[in-house]
Amino acid sequence: MTESQDRFSAEKVARLARLDLSADDLKQLQGELDRILDFVNEINELDLSQVEPFFGAVDSINPIREDQVQPGLTREQALANAPDSDGEFYRVPPVFGN
Amino acid sequence: MKLNLDELINLDVRGLLKLQEQGIASAVEIVGSFHKQIEQENDSLNAILATDFDSAIQQARQVDENRAAGKAVGSLAGIPVVVKDCICTQGITSTAGSKILERFVPPYDATVVERLKASGAVILAKSHMDEFAMGGSNENPHFGAVHNPWNHDCVSGGSSGGSAVAVVARMSPLALGSDTGGSIRQPAAFCGITGLKPTYGRVSRFGLIAFASSLDQIGPMARSAVDVARLANVISGPDKRDSTSANRAAADFSAELETSLAGKRIGICTDHLGKGVAAQVVDAVNQAVAVFESLGAEIVETGLPHTKYAVAAYYLIAPCEASSNLARYDGVRYTTRVDAADLGHMYGRTRAQCFGAEVKRRIMLGTFALSSGYYDQFYLQASKVRRLIKQDYDKALERVDLILGPTTPTAAFRIGELIDDPLSMYLADVFTVSANLAGIPAISFPGGFTDGGLPIGLQLQARSFEESLLLNAAHQFQLQTDWHQRRPA
Repeated sequence: MTESQDRFSAEKVARLARLDLSADDLKQLQGELDRILDFVNEINELDLSQVEPFFGAVDSINPIREDQVQPGLTREQALANAPDSDGEFYRVPPVFGN
Repeated sequence: MKLNLDELINLDVRGLLKLQEQGIASAVEIVGSFHKQIEQENDSLNAILATDFDSAIQQARQVDENRAAGKAVGSLAGIPVVVKDCICTQGITSTAGSKILERFVPPYDATVVERLKASGAVILAKSHMDEFAMGGSNENPHFGAVHNPWNHDCVSGGSSGGSAVAVVARMSPLALGSDTGGSIRQPAAFCGITGLKPTYGRVSRFGLIAFASSLDQIGPMARSAVDVARLANVISGPDKRDSTSANRAAADFSAELETSLAGKRIGICTDHLGKGVAAQVVDAVNQAVAVFESLGAEIVETGLPHTKYAVAAYYLIAPCEASSNLARYDGVRYTTRVDAADLGHMYGRTRAQCFGAEVKRRIMLGTFALSSGYYDQFYLQASKVRRLIKQDYDKALERVDLILGPTTPTAAFRIGELIDDPLSMYLADVFTVSANLAGIPAISFPGGFTDGGLPIGLQLQARSFEESLLLNAAHQFQLQTDWHQRRPA
């Protein structure tokens, strides 16, 4: 793998992360993240080939429950925080624009 | 035998319960008093984001009515609690400190809030925090900085800064915070109070607005270990609605408080007390060692060799998990939206304009570190380092029962000092992130003051599910010292 400076592209990552950033913001973030990536990259000093990853301690994996309907939110409650709604669905702009 | 406002708000939970039991003050009067303190102090401290006084008085009235009718009242009857704003409270805005949720009103209570209400506690206010719990200074870009009551020019610490300030400024005897990399313990240290990060899985995360799902824990904050234990008792325990909650009944955390520490082995990592740690912080640790020795504990030299990689591992794992958890904030469902002609730009503009700088930094970092071609080198590697850190603790905690050290390398820094230097801010987390990575419990409690009058926090760490031992040790320390009783002017 090449040096981190060659790899991290703020512009590409902003697109992946759905962040519409200005050119100035992208420049700022490019610099900050290059520095942060240099720092976090120090973990690659270690030889971890024989180490199993640890993703956090949980007692059970994918616990399931009986498939029985439980009371939940009403539609009104669920849509109460909608930025825009027709009373039935969340309403959003069209995918390809007007 | 009436108390004035000042005396009342200085009482601990036991004192406030007794006032009610003896008929000296009602729950309504108690809640009214703390509400008044919020009104008097919040303008200068900015610890509280929202209150719903009508609802609080209603809860208090219910407690008074139950008591008058001879019905059972809960263990925290009439006791106000301030709740960090990333914890959902039905009918009260829960913003997670972000513009993107500034008008979000949850339709349900978090499990911990349900449990508090069932215990008779009164939800008094929602406290300020770093945006989405990402930060160590509570210098929030949308809602302003929280000020440290010991020195208003200094940070409160974060991300549970509002909760820590509310407790030390006597706005509430109890508060809930959340801790992902130190966000309960660090503000507790900076503000001179006691804060516990429980074992991962000990407290339900249902209703906690998620930052990093394998690291987040809600935890209790109060002035003393005794009161932290009372609050821990109410909020802990398994919850079917959180599949990561541990399948083990909560202990009574108050039961072991008075146990002698004679024979307990306390580990010190001497190489944690070197360069970068303020001299007065080192002094406080050494003084604490003397106190614990006088209580019969045995001090043992110990080591956590991979600490130097902990911050790097944390600042990969947490942003990766955050990038996934924050993907849902896209302008579709949660009140805030920046309009656009097409869906993609609506997502992009809402997120770019309504997330602050630190949140965007971490989303970018996490998105990159999980992306195709980089996942192995960054996220997977960091997760392997996480295994080594866990193993460090497993080994150390075979030889000792507790690990003692400073919570932070320095006392509170000045507002504005580190906000433009994210890396320096991250490095200040060196002593707190490892407990989250390993999942073990840790407590911060007051251990002294700097010459400048700023609190110094000490940290104890223990094996998984041994919160009782942490509280026991902190309480025994607090019987010998009075740092935790001091009050800012």
